[in-house]
This record gives sequence, structure tokens and C-alpha cells, in this order.
Amino acid sequence: MSSFSWVKEFRASRSRQRMMQLLLRVTIGILAGIYALFPVVFIISSSMDPANSLAYSRFVPRNASPVNYQRLLSNPIYPYPRWMLNSIKVSSTSSVLAVFLTALSAYAFSRFRFRGRRPLLLTVFLIQVFPNTLAMVALFLLIQQIGYYIPSLGLNTHGGLILVYLGGVLGFNTWLMKGFFDSIPRDLDESAMIDGASHWQAFRHVVLPLVRPILAVVGILTFIGTYGDYVLARVLIQSKEDFTLAVGLYTLVATQYTQQWGVFAAGALIGALPIMVVFLFLQDQLVSGLTRGAVRG
Amino acid sequence: MNTVKVRARGAFRPLAFFLEAIPRIAPRLLGLAVVNAFALWFLYQLVIDGVWFLSAAISIIALGINVIFLREHLYPFRWLSPGLVFMVLMVAYPVLFTVYTAFTNYGDGHLLTKPQAIRVLEKEQYLPEGAPTYQWTAFRSPSGEYVLWLVADNGETLLARPSEPAQKVTPGQADVGPLGEDGIPQSIKGYQRLSRVDSVRFLSELGKLAFGQAPNTIKINTLDQAAQYQQQYVYDKKQNALVDRATGTVYHADDTEGVFVSSDGQALRPGYQVLVGWENFQRLLASPALRGPFIRVFIWTVAFGLLSALLTFVLGLFLALVFDDPAVPARKLFRSVLVIPYAVPGFISILIWVGMLNPELGVISTALQKLLGWSPPWFSDPWWTKAGVLLVNLWLGYPYMMLVCSGALQAIPDELYEAAEIDGASAWQRFWNITLPLLLISVGPLLIGCFAFNFNNFVVIYLFNRGGPPMADAMTPAGHTDILISYTFRLAFASRRGADFGYAATITTVIFLVVAIITAFNFRYTKVWEEVSESV
Amino acid sequence: MKPKALVLLGLVLTLVLSAACAPKATPTPTSPPTIAPTKAPTEMPTEAPTKVPRKLTIWADELRAPVMEEVSKAFTAKYGVDVAVEMVPFGDMRDRLKVAGPAGEGPDIIMGPHDWLGELVSSGLLAPIDLGAKKELFLSAALQAFTYEGKLYGMPQMTENVALFYNPKLVAEAPKTLDELEKVAGQLESEGKVKYGFLIHAGDAYHFFPIMTAFGGYVFGRDAQGNYNPQDVGIDSPGSIAAAEWLDMMVKRGHLSKDVDWEVMHTMFQDGKAAMIISGPWALPRIKESGISYAVSKIPAGPAGEARPFIGVRGFMVSAFSKDLLLAQTFLTEFVATEEIMQRIFELDPGASAFLPVRERIKDPDTAAFAEAGENGLAMPAIPEMSTVWSAWGDAVTLIYQQRLSPDEAFKKAAEQIRTAIKGG
Repeated sequence: MSSFSWVKEFRASRSRQRMMQLLLRVTIGILAGIYALFPVVFIISSSMDPANSLAYSRFVPRNASPVNYQRLLSNPIYPYPRWMLNSIKVSSTSSVLAVFLTALSAYAFSRFRFRGRRPLLLTVFLIQVFPNTLAMVALFLLIQQIGYYIPSLGLNTHGGLILVYLGGVLGFNTWLMKGFFDSIPRDLDESAMIDGASHWQAFRHVVLPLVRPILAVVGILTFIGTYGDYVLARVLIQSKEDFTLAVGLYTLVATQYTQQWGVFAAGALIGALPIMVVFLFLQDQLVSGLTRGAVRG
Repeated sequence: MNTVKVRARGAFRPLAFFLEAIPRIAPRLLGLAVVNAFALWFLYQLVIDGVWFLSAAISIIALGINVIFLREHLYPFRWLSPGLVFMVLMVAYPVLFTVYTAFTNYGDGHLLTKPQAIRVLEKEQYLPEGAPTYQWTAFRSPSGEYVLWLVADNGETLLARPSEPAQKVTPGQADVGPLGEDGIPQSIKGYQRLSRVDSVRFLSELGKLAFGQAPNTIKINTLDQAAQYQQQYVYDKKQNALVDRATGTVYHADDTEGVFVSSDGQALRPGYQVLVGWENFQRLLASPALRGPFIRVFIWTVAFGLLSALLTFVLGLFLALVFDDPAVPARKLFRSVLVIPYAVPGFISILIWVGMLNPELGVISTALQKLLGWSPPWFSDPWWTKAGVLLVNLWLGYPYMMLVCSGALQAIPDELYEAAEIDGASAWQRFWNITLPLLLISVGPLLIGCFAFNFNNFVVIYLFNRGGPPMADAMTPAGHTDILISYTFRLAFASRRGADFGYAATITTVIFLVVAIITAFNFRYTKVWEEVSESV
Repeated sequence: MKPKALVLLGLVLTLVLSAACAPKATPTPTSPPTIAPTKAPTEMPTEAPTKVPRKLTIWADELRAPVMEEVSKAFTAKYGVDVAVEMVPFGDMRDRLKVAGPAGEGPDIIMGPHDWLGELVSSGLLAPIDLGAKKELFLSAALQAFTYEGKLYGMPQMTENVALFYNPKLVAEAPKTLDELEKVAGQLESEGKVKYGFLIHAGDAYHFFPIMTAFGGYVFGRDAQGNYNPQDVGIDSPGSIAAAEWLDMMVKRGHLSKDVDWEVMHTMFQDGKAAMIISGPWALPRIKESGISYAVSKIPAGPAGEARPFIGVRGFMVSAFSKDLLLAQTFLTEFVATEEIMQRIFELDPGASAFLPVRERIKDPDTAAFAEAGENGLAMPAIPEMSTVWSAWGDAVTLIYQQRLSPDEAFKKAAEQIRTAIKGG
């Protein structure tokens, strides 16, 4: 439409102002980056400290050496690489399944009007808010029982752990997705269905592609959430070969006095890499599907 | 909006109906049948073993699935069913368990169920007065049977087989070979003598055997000793008591307290868990915890939740907006760097922050000292500690908000901004009137969720300064940064009995109710936002 | 009409399918398969060990698990019984035992400190141990620590206590009394050689306890048998308050700082900025690694006598839910309680062994010094009421460091809070 090209012209003439704006954004980015990375620098310092202490004031510890990385990777007792693989496996599976489950539920809440919708939404939300400190005992017993009948989902299995994680996925993420779904106009669904599509087809082919940003967000939130969880994992997983990364690292510092902060720091840093990779990968999805006016008309 | 298929009312023509309906509904019915078969199998196992809760849960779920998939007007629930199944099992169950526990005295001293406690007590053994103790040597037959050679303190020697009375034998009698140097027969016909090492190897079996005949059965107590140990406590179902056979004392089961107690007040250890009704709740209401600094702790908890949510949202949204522009160079890199606080385990990050802020050695404090000649007393002053924990929580939480906002911002169509710009709206006006309202539709509930999460964010508070600095004028141990859950839990776990899980569950439930009420109240506002979105 | 037919159809299909796959009978999953006695003839059992399918499970924390793994391999080799060692984080062990034990998933043997006895025994989770003749071979104080209400519930492995670390380059000779300590600290500070002459990290009551005893203070009184009496709270006794006043004085004179936490305390000592600190043997690895010169000595005595630190005794306990109590106990008394194994354990997990033949042979000066410092130490109370003490007591000490309450008020208030909690507040 003609009004668009006019707008483009209008914008182009303000190119210098635009440059300033970009510069400002980059500066903010750098400042924020410093704020974000500053403590991480100390984590790196701690990882280089053979005496295993937490770095408080020095950037470069006394006797700095990468010995902690060696201790970590070649430790005969702690299978760190295996832990990383376990974590990646559990977290990826959980996040993929979580996105799927949440999308189904969010679509239903967004598109259908049925009795009990709002109370159910509220319940789903509230139930997640319940402090789960004592839930550990309950979950242990539950998974133990399930494990008797379905061994692959019992205690000390990754299947059981994923099962528990999926339970906690529905709450907040459903709300987040539902909100996003709400912003996709219903006309789209309706026009598809008038053309003979079922709900499922409308969901899969029309709506889902448009909500990719929020799928990516829920995916990475679930990935990070399950990756860093040590509370649930340490209750359910006992043998050290099956530890997830978070649990394994936790055992390094859960001792009474001899916490190995250096090794922990090294482990935490290496462990953060998969998250960064996933995030870099998913960032491409964080693009709006509603621009370009393709939707209107 | 379900598409409604209108069918002409007419005679029910079975054949036509089936032929028409089958391809459509067959997959669904088949799936249902598979689910039901699985559920029935599972239930069968559970019921055999008496696992009641799980049976109930599976029945409800299976029933629910059937109803949902067979009744047309419950169509929306088919979409919800997978998520709901997981939620019921993994979230609802622990919640119900916790609430149930609140009505019991489950905790140290009352950890076991009554049958378990009885079992443990029935394992206790005693030696009746005057009963001799023996040194034993075991002999084993190739078919796995055992016989014991016993030497009493008074030199008497016995041969004991399981379930047969022990016989006094001398070498030469009853297939017993000659004595060796150590006074023990070198062989018994049909049996091999077990060395000490082998005795250990077969100890599991030996330990379970009762040699001799009742009531004078001899059991192995240690590697060196066997004697006529008797079970000390016997449970008498009629009396509902444990009888001590050594002293004859009768310990009645007090099912309201969960303990076995004799008439003169002696109680057996362990006790067992029992339902105590509202006792825990009454205790909570009457507790000095509520009278003490409770109000202060509560106010701070609410403030902490609100401020955490607000601050992280503001910073997260700000950064999301800054990088919402595709033209920003190295955008992906910036975003990845900014998400790092979320990718690093909070455990170590919080402690590093504590270290950086440490007034003696921490980098931030020493830098501030150099620049300003003063640095805040981060951990000893109540207000600065509060500021400090909020600062750390901000660092930990803003990436989440940034991520969420980055996603949610994509839902706002560009046309709105362009139209507004044409109309001459300033950047701030565009933000305030377009971005924020539309964003809050999806993110609004998350803010409430963030509040609820931080309301109970025990970890940050504990790792930062254990809830300190301590309140100097409180009746119960409390710190200035204690939140409700850390404060009350400390009371529950530092009680005279050690850890009182029942009481902790009560506290958890009550705190949950408080948060739920605040949260539910806030939801009335989200209804408004929802309607706004429908008119866009 | 249609819905009804649907339902009918659905039910029919379900029945057909479930009949088709009849449920298989699975064994009740309550206990592990019972041992089937070996029918195969055994010639001379000492030659080729026929493995009886019996297994012992040991829970140990991250430091001790590797030690026990090595040691238990020897056991398996000698006796043919498998031993599984599971590493459980120290902080989780009790909670896990409380849930796993009764549920049948627990271990046979658990390794932990004696102060767990109160809560574990009162919940029926531990079985008494009969050491038989081997009892004589253990340090009596350690045995006493593992005795609860007259019965022995653990076999001691080693004892731990705090002592004074000092830097011989700065402090020629370890101070013998607290007054001397203060003088030396003051001197070093005024000479500018150190920032702090002496440090206890802020707010920690455990490390402060020995000083309290040096003034005659105590936490719980003891009865004639040596059991701790929860009705006799000694935090506000004259001795304890005197100690609190000493602490207050040290803070006021600038010798102790409220901002020094455990990490800072050690960093300063390692950097030579603090001359003397109170810490335990767990700090040895990092102090050694830092290269700073150090020595260990007894904590200086006070007006009421010598300083008696808390003794923590680590040992082996047997779970009441063990499927084979006899075997577990025999593992301990027959195999572990021998010079060979205890010596090996000592080598892998250095610490003042509670096994006398090994303890008397300790040559390492540091371990010997710690053992000496703890010679007259007091076993940490294992009674459940001890849990009421830490928060209140720790807060009181913190308040003194932060100078927000007078020592008198702080300790009196703590005692009151403890008494209320014990009564059941």
C-alpha cells in the first residue's frame, strides 16, 4: 500500500538520528554486558585457583593454573562429561515435550470457551506456586512406586526425572503462551476452518508457525530450568553415573567444610556452554511472525 | 468455538451410522482402548499390592480420559489432557501429600508408620536372665544345610541343628569327629567345617536360622557369640500394645500421640506417625513465632516479592526493547552475553556476589572505599542487607524477564507503532500506550508468578546472609532479611524434637494460602487485559 | 443418541482389547529376591569362593566414598560378598535415610558424625551395634559419643575438632592463655605486620565454643552418666557470659571484625594478613596449598581452665532397616575394625583415627596437634534438642560482633529463646 513507501522515505531521511540511536543501544548493551559478566569473571578466577577458594578480590589468584579443569575432566570418581551428557539429554527431552504439552494447553485455553476455563487457569497457576520443599518426600515415594511397575520410569532413571519435570511445566508457561496465542487474531483460525480444516489442522498449519517466538522462549526457559535444577534431581537420582550436571556439581560443594569451589566453578563454566549454544540457536526464532502485513486483508 | 455439525433428525439407521462414523472415530476409540487396557493392567498390579493412592490417581486419570474423549462437549479438554495428567500426578499429588502431612505428626521421632515401628521394635532381642552364651563354629553340608558346634562359658558343648533340639554331644557320638587343638571337632559326618572367613561369607544364611527348638532357640548374635536370644517386644493385637517379655511391662499404643507408653509413663522409641488433626495448626496460631517479629517478616516478604518482580521486569523489559531492533550490530552476541547470569548455577553466583560485596576483601567494597571513602555495610546493616539481596536477585532474575519480554514483544504488530508514529506519538507515548498494555496481557500473570516465586525464594535469602543480620529485639530467632518461609521453617526444624515435618507442612500450607489469596486477588485484573486483547 | 452409541462402542473395544492382553502376574516388589542357597557342592570353601548373592550397601559422603570403595574391594576379595558404596552428599544423607530407610531403599551402613544420633535413633532408624571384644580398641571418648541412652549405635572412625592455626613466622610461640593471645595479637597489629592478629569468623558459635569453655561456660549440662541434659541450658551461665564479654572486648579493640566470614578468614591467613585463626583439619588442604607457613596448637586456656573444643566423631552406623544386620555388623567388627583396614582408612582420609592402635602411631604433626587440642574436648551433644541451639546461639554471637547488643543481653536472650523452643514453642 502506498502509505508504506511514504513511511520508508520518512524514516530514511532520519538516518543520522538512526545511527545515534543504534550507537546508544550498543552502549547500553556494553554497560549491561559488564554488569552481567562481572561476577562471571570471578567465577573464572575461582576456577583457576588450585586452593579451591572462592575469589573475593583478586582477578588472578595466587598460583593460578588450570589444574581444576584437569581435576574435573579426568577425575576417576566424578564422571563429569557423562554428567553433561545426562543433563543435555534430560533437558532437551523435557523442553521439547514441555513445549508440545504447553502449546496444546495454551491453544485450548485461548481458543475455546468452556465452563471452568478461568477457574482451571487459575488452579493451574496457583498449584505451581505451592512451595515444594516437602514435595520431595512425596515425589520420591511416588516415583519409587511407579518404578516398581514401569522400571524405566522409576527411581534413579532419567525417565522418572523427566516425568516429574513435565509435571511442573504447565503452570506459568501456559499463561505465557496463552497470552501470545490470544494476540493471534481468531479470524485466522476461523477462515481456515471454514475452508474445511479441523481444529488440529488449524493449530498445526496456521497458528503454530505464527507463535514460534514464544515456543522458542518456553523451550529455552524449560531447558535452562531443568538443566540447573538440583533439588528434584538429587532426590530422584542416586547413582553417580546418572547424576545430572547440577547434582554432580552440587556434591562438590555440599560437603561440610571442604568445598571445592575451584572445581565447581570450572564445572559451572563448562556446563553453561550448552545453554549458550541452545540460546544462540533459538534466537533466530525470536522474530515476529506478524509483521510484513501478510496477515491483514 | 467448536464447529457444530448439524445433522438432520431422522430415524437412526445403524448401518449407515457406523459406516459413516467409523473412519472418523475409530482412531480415537482405538487409542482409548489402548489407554484403558494399560490403565486396567496398572490398576490390577497396584490393587494387588495395596498401593492405594496411586490406584486412586490412575483410576481418576483413566476415567477422566475416557469421559473427555467420549463426550463431545468436553472437546477442549482433549487438548488439555496430556498436560493435566502430568500436573495431577506430579504436582497435585505432592501438594495433597503436604497438606495431608500437615495433619500428622510426621517428623523426627514419629517417622515410621505404626506397622513399621512395630516391626522395628519386634526386631529387638534380649537375653533372658541366666541364659548361657556360646562360642560357635559352623559346619556346612554340600546341600547347604548347617549345624553349629557350641561351646558354653562353662565348657559345655552342644550340637545344634535348625529346628531340632540342641544335643549335648561328645566327640565320637552323633557323627562328630575328634576334637582338634582348639577344642572344636575337625569334622562332622556330611559337613565341612567353615573357617572364620567362610563363616562371614555364609553369614547371611546363618544369621537367619534358628538353631535348636523353640522355646530354646539359639541365634547367632555376632561372629563370636550365639545365644538364646529372644524377641523382646511382642505386639498384642487385642490389647493394641507391645509386651516386653524381659520385664513384662505392657506398652500401650497411644494412637493420638503416636507412641508406645507404659502405665508409668515410660515411652518406647521409636514412635510412629499418626493423624493429629488440627493440632499443628493450633500450635502455629499459638506459637510465639506469630507474636514475635512475624509482622515485620511478613511485610519484608511481600516487599521482597514485589520489588524483585518489579525490578527484574523493568530491567528485563528495558534490555528486551533495546535489542528488539534487528539493525543493532552483534545483536545475537549481546543477547547471549546478557542471558549468561541465567545460565550459570545460582549457587555459585550468589556466593560470588557475597564475596564481591564483602566489606573486608570484596572487590566492590574495596573499590567503593577507594572512590568514595566509604562502602555500605552490606551484611551487618538491616537496610543495606535488604538492598544487597535485592541487587543480587535482580542480577539473577533479569535474564528471565528479558527472554520473556523478547518473546512477547513479537506479538505486537509493527503496524501499530507505525500508525502511532505517523500520528506524531513520541517514543515514550508509544511505549506507554501500546507496548506496555499489550505486553502485560501475556506477561502480566508472569509478574504475579514472579512475585509468588520470590515470596518463597528461600535459596537467595539463605545463601546471601542466612536471613541475617539477626534481629536484636525479637522473641524468636529471626533475621532482618528472613522471609516468611525461612523464618517459620527454622522454627519447625529447630524444635525440641529435631525436624518436625508435620509442622513444616502446616506452615507451608498456611503460607501457600496467603500467597494464593494475594495472587487470586490480582487475577481479577488480568480479566481486564484479556478483554482488551480480544478487541485488538 | 450418537454420544451413547459412541460410549458403547468405546467400552466394547476396551473390553476386547484388555481381554486380549491379560495382565501378567508380576512378583510383589517388596523385598529383593531371597537368597537361594547354593546347591553346587563346595569342596574346600577357601579356594574358589562361590559368591552368595548377598550385597552390602554403604552410604558415604564425597570424601569417604572413594575410601570405602577401595576398602570394600578388599572385603569382597576376601569374603566373596559384594559391597556397593553409594556417594550421598553430606547435607542430604539424613533426609534421604529418613525417607529411603523405611521405604526399603536404604543402605545397610551409613557413615556420618555422631551428632546425628539424636534424630536418627529417636526415629528408629539405627540399630544398636555390639562391638564385642573389639570395643577395647577404640578411644573411649569416641565410644561415649556414639552411645545414646545407654546403647552403642556406631563404630567410631575418627575424631575431629578445631584448634589454633598460627603463622610461626609472625608468632614465635603459640600463646598459652587467652590474655597472651590478645597481647600478641595487639602487638602484631600495632606493628602493622598484620591486619588482624587473631580471627574467628563472624557469627560462628561452633568455633567459639572452646573459648566459652575456657571461661567455664557450657551449652547443656551433663548428668552423672555423662548424658546431656536439655533442661540445663548453659548459654546464660556466668562462664558463658564471661566468654561473651571477652568476645565483645576483642571486637571493641578491633581485634575481631564482623565482616570476616569463613572464606575471608582463610584468605587472610593464607595471605599472611592474619596471624592466628581457629579452624579445623578440613582447612589443611587449602592452607597447605597456599604455601603459607603454619603450625597447629591447642587453643589457649582461659581463667576457668583449658579450652575444650567440640569433638565430632565420625563413624559407621547401621540402619535399622538393613536387610542383613548381622552381616553389616560383622563387616564392621570383623573387617573394618582391624589395624590393616583402619590404617588404610587413615591414610586415605587423614584425621585423628579413633582406633587406638592407629591413633597411637600417628606421626603427622598436624594430626597429632589436632588430637592433642581435642584431648579433653567435649563430644558435641547428639540430643535432638541441640537443633534448637544453633540459630539462637549463632545469632547471639553475631549480634556481639555487630555490636548491636551487649554480651550479657545477647546471651541471655539466646538462652531464653532456646528454653522456649525446647518447651515446644
